Amino acid sequence: MKRKSPLKAYSWEFMLVGLLVVLWIIFEIKDSSRGRDVFNFARMMSGMSVYMLYSFMALGMALILGMGDIDISVGASATLSAAVMGVLYRSMTSGGMANGPAFAIAILACLATGCLCGFLNGFLITRFRELFPMIVTLGTMLFFRGFCYLFLGGETLKFENDATWALLKKLYNGSIEIGSVSFPTIILWFLGFAAVFYIFLHKMSGGRKLFAIGENRISSRCSGVNVDRFELLMFVVCGFMAAVSALFYIGCASATVRADAMQGYEMYAIAVAVLGGFSTSGGKGNIIGVVLSVLIFGVMKKGLGTLFGFSDSTVNLAVGIVLILASLLPNIVQYISHKKQLKKQQTDIQAFPSGKP
Amino acid sequence: MAVILVLLIIVVCIEIPGYFENNYINILKNSSLNLVMAAGMLCVLLVGSIDISVAAVLELSAAVAGVLMRDGHIQSVGMMFAVGILIGALAGFLTGVLTSYGRILPIIVTLGMTYVCRALIPMDFILGMDKIARIDLTDSFKDFILQKFLGLPLIIYITLAVVLLIGIFLKYTKTGRSLYAVGSNVKAAAMRGVNVNLTKVLAHTICGATAGMAGIMRLAEYNAIEKGACNGGEMYVIAACVLGGVSVMGGYGKMIGVVIGAALIATIDSAIPQLFIDATMMKEFFKGILILAAILLNVLFQRASNKRMKMKESAK
Repeated sequence: MKRKSPLKAYSWEFMLVGLLVVLWIIFEIKDSSRGRDVFNFARMMSGMSVYMLYSFMALGMALILGMGDIDISVGASATLSAAVMGVLYRSMTSGGMANGPAFAIAILACLATGCLCGFLNGFLITRFRELFPMIVTLGTMLFFRGFCYLFLGGETLKFENDATWALLKKLYNGSIEIGSVSFPTIILWFLGFAAVFYIFLHKMSGGRKLFAIGENRISSRCSGVNVDRFELLMFVVCGFMAAVSALFYIGCASATVRADAMQGYEMYAIAVAVLGGFSTSGGKGNIIGVVLSVLIFGVMKKGLGTLFGFSDSTVNLAVGIVLILASLLPNIVQYISHKKQLKKQQTDIQAFPSGKP
Repeated sequence: MAVILVLLIIVVCIEIPGYFENNYINILKNSSLNLVMAAGMLCVLLVGSIDISVAAVLELSAAVAGVLMRDGHIQSVGMMFAVGILIGALAGFLTGVLTSYGRILPIIVTLGMTYVCRALIPMDFILGMDKIARIDLTDSFKDFILQKFLGLPLIIYITLAVVLLIGIFLKYTKTGRSLYAVGSNVKAAAMRGVNVNLTKVLAHTICGATAGMAGIMRLAEYNAIEKGACNGGEMYVIAACVLGGVSVMGGYGKMIGVVIGAALIATIDSAIPQLFIDATMMKEFFKGILILAAILLNVLFQRASNKRMKMKESAK
């Protein structure tokens, strides 16, 4: 079998790299014209960590989109995990437990809650095949959000500022020096998770199964994949990633959680995954693309915000337009190449009217 | 199926004596915004597409019309509605062109449109203000929507008119029927001479127009609008359609079902505060549970009826 040339196989990723380079050059020119050195690599890295919160969800979402499903409940399940964690931690410490073990148990409970949310999603989706994943997760989104209100009421949950708490903050805010550049830990965490996902999705049989399900669910069932169980497992992973980003959220947002926190994060996660090359119809995508699109989102938000002084909503306008244009571009390319092919066929027919060369 | 669900809810409501007599106007009034948007959403779902930008379009149209009224460009109620519907229709048209001619998946286009519409909400970055308040609106506009006519507020009549108009359009006109045709089988519809792309654009334009109209209605009812005021509202619109038995695959769905779905959500909304004391928090909780349960119950009912049909056939 002839292999695709790398340029063709990774055309989407090359496009993303191109976009990133163009953005970088524009910001660099703008920066040097102002005569200030705001836009260097180290500052970019530290500034970007604000926009990294939903990137963990985007990794989980990539798995779901690869199977042709969608999960719009991740924002709500992240809030629920954070709420469970906070309530548990408070009740344990007020019950006289030491901070350390209470904190460990609370983190475990947070991750477990995320997995449970994902399990519920997966269970309902695999049992109720008549319903679209979008509708099921719409229902569970409202359900999880309702639970958040039940746990928290209208209050804002605050975590006490003690030594164990500083650990989680360090997880988010700290930095590690590599060479002369200091990397924020959240970016390293993200790259670590992305590496695991990359190996799973592109180097192991699990990824093959996943894309096979996205391509054609029935034929992959016929070729021996236990579709229901695999899909359920992937939803659990997606819920787990939502809980992970909940941990970082608590670490970043001055350690408070409200019942309406992280609303709309699912849309960011979907946008990042889609720009990364995962289509909502399933069957294709690459984790490298997701990493690149996280970088693009971060660079764009940071650059437009600090260099050009645009307000948040203008930056969102740019994000929306980039999202639409990026999904429009491959269709236009395909349309043009299709036209070319048709023309070529026509000239072939004219050159050899008998049909035989 | 949805009828059974509504009956169930009403039986629950009878537990509270005099509940329905006191509240039916409120139920109708509260469901009206959702219902107007759901009527537009029905068109989009029928052609097998989806629109998750309706809440953002609502905010945009209300904001633009509100700014125009504040700056004194518009005085009359009719012009407000015209502007709102125009803006909504433009947004819907753009979405429709991108999904049908541009061949992008509708959920991605409308996700992008959500960003774009929220960003365009004008008072945010042109004028440096962040909301339209009571004083910015003329008195006639503020009083308009809750005026009573034959004992019912005007908003209910407007909703009814929109629902009837779209319902008749879908059922009795050739163009309306072609929406069903495109949704159930694209190729067959194209062979029968339906312009598939144009039909999709039309459906999206109708949906955008209803969202824009709902924006003006909301502005008139609450007398205020700000960015993100309706965040998440699109989910309730889609939920109303799904509860009403509309297929998300396209090609199946009736207007009467959508009306029942919207009424169901409004009933849940108004019944729970009366059933429980700790109202606002319990409301969110039960709303979530009941909508999820209703969606799942709907499927179970359908399965049971399918089974019965099959048994009947095999008995023959």
